[in-house]
Amino acid sequence: MKKFLTVLLTLIFLLSLVAGAFITQKDVFGTSKITLKLGAWASSPAEKKIVQNQIAAFKKLYPNVDIKLVEIVGDYNQKMQLLMASKTEPDIFYMDSMPAWQYIAKNVLEPLDSWMKKYNVKTIGYESSLLQPFIYKGKVYGLPKDYNTLVLFYNKEMFKQAGLTQPPKTWQELKEYAKKLTTDKVVGLTMNLELARIQPFAYQNGGKVFDGEKPVFTDPKALEGLKFALDLFKEGICKTPKDLGAGWVGDAFADKKAAMTIEGGWMIPFLNDRKIPKDSYGIAELPAGPAGKSTMAFTVAYVMSKNSKHKPEAFKLIRFLTGEGGQKYVVEAGLALPSLKSAGANFAKTYPERKALVDGAKYAQVYFYGLDGTKVVDVFNKAFEDYVIGKKYDLKKNIEERVKQIMK
Amino acid sequence: MRNRTKTQEYLTAFVMLLPYILSFCVFFAYPLVKAFVISFQNFSFLGDAPPKFVGLANYKEALTNKMFLDSILNTLYYSVLVVPTQLIIALILAVIVNDKVKFKEFFRTTYYLPTVTSPVAVSIIFLFLYKTDGLVNQILRHIGITPRNWFNEPSFVMPAIVSVAVWGSVGFYMVTFLSGLSTIPDQLYEAAEVEGAGELTKLLKITVPLLKPMIFFNTVVSFISTLQMFDLSYIIGGSDGGPMGKAMTMVVMIYRTAFKEFNMGVASAMAFVVFGIIFALTLIQRKFFGEEMSY
Repeated sequence: MKKFLTVLLTLIFLLSLVAGAFITQKDVFGTSKITLKLGAWASSPAEKKIVQNQIAAFKKLYPNVDIKLVEIVGDYNQKMQLLMASKTEPDIFYMDSMPAWQYIAKNVLEPLDSWMKKYNVKTIGYESSLLQPFIYKGKVYGLPKDYNTLVLFYNKEMFKQAGLTQPPKTWQELKEYAKKLTTDKVVGLTMNLELARIQPFAYQNGGKVFDGEKPVFTDPKALEGLKFALDLFKEGICKTPKDLGAGWVGDAFADKKAAMTIEGGWMIPFLNDRKIPKDSYGIAELPAGPAGKSTMAFTVAYVMSKNSKHKPEAFKLIRFLTGEGGQKYVVEAGLALPSLKSAGANFAKTYPERKALVDGAKYAQVYFYGLDGTKVVDVFNKAFEDYVIGKKYDLKKNIEERVKQIMK
Repeated sequence: MRNRTKTQEYLTAFVMLLPYILSFCVFFAYPLVKAFVISFQNFSFLGDAPPKFVGLANYKEALTNKMFLDSILNTLYYSVLVVPTQLIIALILAVIVNDKVKFKEFFRTTYYLPTVTSPVAVSIIFLFLYKTDGLVNQILRHIGITPRNWFNEPSFVMPAIVSVAVWGSVGFYMVTFLSGLSTIPDQLYEAAEVEGAGELTKLLKITVPLLKPMIFFNTVVSFISTLQMFDLSYIIGGSDGGPMGKAMTMVVMIYRTAFKEFNMGVASAMAFVVFGIIFALTLIQRKFFGEEMSY
């Protein structure tokens, strides 16, 4: 009897163990969720809303994937480096075009090629120039989430008062109009004195500041173009927002301190917030130079961490965010331009008055200068300052000196 | 209990001190040593490539970087402007607030208030005050001085920052001077008054000499804190150093090198150069004030 009981008890014990194992196994497959972390810098509530909508839509498609939005406040690159050093970085995160290669070269991002092949994602679907910062040594490391281009915003009222009907189409017109529009209280044009705004003039003149993988500092055509823009500052018909006592060009333009400004599409939501009526200003492509049109594109991509524990799901999320499903929300919000060509067409249809932004993408140079990006930008920016404020008028010599100092 | 040995006593002391020793090691000693090691390495937070030993290359790169050398000059310029200005103002305020005025408690609080305000908030408020159409320029226009773009003109940005710094920290030095003043016996002043000494004579012949230890302490502290200036310059000038880099300080440069150029090795080397400069300048001040002043 005692023996029987022992056997029975043992059996029951074993059975319950097996059953328990089964139950827990079932538990794992049935209810457990994968959590993906999505890293983003803190931005406006409107912009955050887009990501939240995208996440909600993705969760509907993949109910077993939970997504945690990790908002990084403050210096994004500093925090991201610290997160990476402690191996707690998000699975996928925003990557600005400028520092992209610095991350890629350190081997911390997952190349996406094999994943793209597996899940049938093709690079040709995206606006082509946007991918350049995220391709390193032939491998793709990020897919662009959205972008923006520089355009010319102009105040229609001021144009009318000066007897102008059309936005300037050429350099000569730009200069002429800026002169006409400049009065005691208003300056014709305002823009930042930095490479990110002045560079299009180099390309509009047929010059280059970046070629393939290397910066070009003293291309004569480029220098000539840059000089044209810088001389607008020296003639007093173009001023920086700081010179106008404004926080940024958006304030200067909204406060009617300037008649025209060269800035990106992010101006539009800002002007809406400032209650500037939509038909009081116009948006045009940048005036063409002797060699044609050019503008700048600013883009941000989604990249995947090499340490991610859920790479297939992480890639599916990237595919969704940069694909038709996710880009729909970018189009709807109208804050930035969708990086998918097909979605771009929809954007131009939804917002006809903002067509100039999409048109610019065809000939835009992306804001990106390879591994030494920060230094390249610095060389130009400081040389521009020397030329306009510091009165060292030999731009070429100044750039050469600065290159010698910082670049190797 | 009476037979407790020396060892036991040391042990007790050690256990009592352990929390401090631990936190000192973890948060001060280890990072310091680590930073020193990194300053000789090609080091990156990113990636799993092991750091490479590069000898003195980082120091060479730091000391040949024109922007860093400029930042040293900018910082010294800032210190030379700030230290005497703020100490003289603090001393005068302390003397005034010490006994002469009515409502002295009110003034003591008011002068000290900026010290407890966050430098970031202070800089942002001054950004507004110094704007082309800001309050400062409005006032200047009324008294017939052409408005200036204070934070955006290369030759004005540093003096403008100096004014903010002095405003923000003068209260701290005033309080230390006040505590020094309370140790000076009143009889000295009474005796001086009997002899017919004026206010200025009393200040220069009694207050200043007797406050010498306090002045030394404040000079050293003020010098060190100005040499480490980061917040004002970073908020007002950004990591590019403001107009023509004239607002770039040594610490902003370190930050820039580490987190914008991803160059931890050179940034650490710069940090130790800054340490060297501060150390050397403090030694010089000790010599200047004489050995007996050691604190």
